[in-house]
Amino acid sequence: MDTLISTLLSGVVLGALYALMASGLSLVWTTLGVFNFAHGALMTIGAFVAWTVSEAVGLGLPAGVVAGVASAALLGVVVEYLLIRPFYGRPNMLLITVMTTLAGMIILEKGAQMIWGARLKQLPRLIDGEVSIFGAVISAHEALIIVVAPLILLALWQFTTRTYLGRSLRAVGQNQDAAALLGINVSFTFALAFGLGAALAGLTGVLLGGIRFITPSLGAEPLVKAMIVVIFGGLGSLGATVGAAFVIGLAEAFLVLTLGLYWTPFALFLGLIAVLIFRPNGLFGRV
Amino acid sequence: MSRFLEVEGMTAGYGAVTVLRNISLYVDHGENVGLFGPNGHGKTTLLRTLSGLMRAAMGKVRFDGQDISRARPWEIVGLGMVQAQQGNTLFGEMEIAETLELAAFNRRAREKAAANLDRIYTLFPRLAERKRQKAKTLSGGERQMLSIGAALMCAPRLLLLDEPTLGLSPRLKEELAEALRAISQDVPLVVVEQDVELLLALSNRLYLIEHGEVQREIGKDNAPDHQEIMDMYFGEHA
Ligand SMILES: Nc1ncnc2c1ncn2[C@@H]1O[C@H](COP(=O)(O)OP(=O)(O)OP(=O)(O)O)[C@@H](O)[C@H]1O
Ligand SMILES: [Mg+2]
Repeated sequence: MDTLISTLLSGVVLGALYALMASGLSLVWTTLGVFNFAHGALMTIGAFVAWTVSEAVGLGLPAGVVAGVASAALLGVVVEYLLIRPFYGRPNMLLITVMTTLAGMIILEKGAQMIWGARLKQLPRLIDGEVSIFGAVISAHEALIIVVAPLILLALWQFTTRTYLGRSLRAVGQNQDAAALLGINVSFTFALAFGLGAALAGLTGVLLGGIRFITPSLGAEPLVKAMIVVIFGGLGSLGATVGAAFVIGLAEAFLVLTLGLYWTPFALFLGLIAVLIFRPNGLFGRV
Repeated sequence: MSRFLEVEGMTAGYGAVTVLRNISLYVDHGENVGLFGPNGHGKTTLLRTLSGLMRAAMGKVRFDGQDISRARPWEIVGLGMVQAQQGNTLFGEMEIAETLELAAFNRRAREKAAANLDRIYTLFPRLAERKRQKAKTLSGGERQMLSIGAALMCAPRLLLLDEPTLGLSPRLKEELAEALRAISQDVPLVVVEQDVELLLALSNRLYLIEHGEVQREIGKDNAPDHQEIMDMYFGEHA
């Protein structure tokens, strides 16, 4: 019983992190039609900057969290400006930006290695202590992730459905010319989507940095997971992405329990392929 | 006083293909202007260039005394020149109410959003009945109404309409025509329209656009008869 509940809880923690990560990726995809391969590297930089500000400079964790998220957001805007903007309107933009954002990922990872070195770093937990839920014990940090991620995603959802700026993101994603003719500044919207997406990556990095060691390749695995989540969810709405994130987080936790770490990625991909065969538009996509 | 809209020697096209050649025309304060001509001769291209979706290779556009030849689409909307595109489906996944609310995006429009929304729902009761319906599920006529409604939410000082009644049933067409006549009472129009009756009812002056050029300007004093205009539509006079 205890293993069941603790597996469930670790699945929910994973799901919450994947949801944050994947919703940033999905925001960029739905607004610009670009798959940002540098998304994981932006997450890594966010974690490193948080570590520098909080630990190396010693300004404390709250300042570190703010700096980590802000620097990722800023870098996201720079990535959009340098690696995506020059190629707008090209018929093969999707392919070009696969290459440019892959290049961005490598540059950011190598840059992180040069600045912060290969030695492992770790952020302190956001809150100390442990929480017991139905007899299973998780760290308060992980409990915080379970609470904070849905709140952030709820705020994001409110933003994209209730505000002028947030709605303009969705409008631009669906019809750029029509959005422009309603007075929306399309290039600004692109930068906004990238900045917001990167901020979500940075936040994931800061949260993950309290659980795992921060290395230049910290973001690699979360990037792959986020991509699986976004494709699995059907490349569409925020709700579908978040739903898919929790399905995959829970599946992963139970696969690790039953099949072990070694076979879990294999089983996850097999599941993804099976879903895409029977539901080509994703788990929550319209058939 | 300068003209409301003035186009001088505009040349524009797609890549190496020139579609518009040396177009000059104007709209004065207080008048509605119609554009007509055979299919594929550049009317839509002209409106797209005016709205800043494409950049003219040559020529000048002035709106309300300001040079907007190199302005971005959102700047042009901000100044008050707004277009409802030909066959525009706007945002398929967005509901009517949400689309209209979003359309009051520029600063001038936001102040008047509530009043404009009321007015649009009065003009187009069909939209009011379907506030929660997604754009992609609307009929052609309803889409047209939404597109015009969204343009009105931008608080236009000059409204460009590209074939508002294209492909509509006679009944829907009449419904839309009535709304357009009401709109033309308080917003000046530049309208591209295939229906001669409606075009003549809406506009004070007409330009015949053929082969990407202004072939003829038709005012009250040199108005040709109905049949002549029909001939020009199909390019038979040349
Ligand atoms: N994106 C494009 N790329 C290349 N050529 C184009 C493009 N859009 C339009 N054209 C061409 O430009 C010319 C003018 O087209 P335009 O749509 O402006 O005509 P129109 O007068 O609005 O026609 P209609 O009455 O059918 O709406 C046509 O020959 C058309 O094929
Ligand atoms: Mg046209």
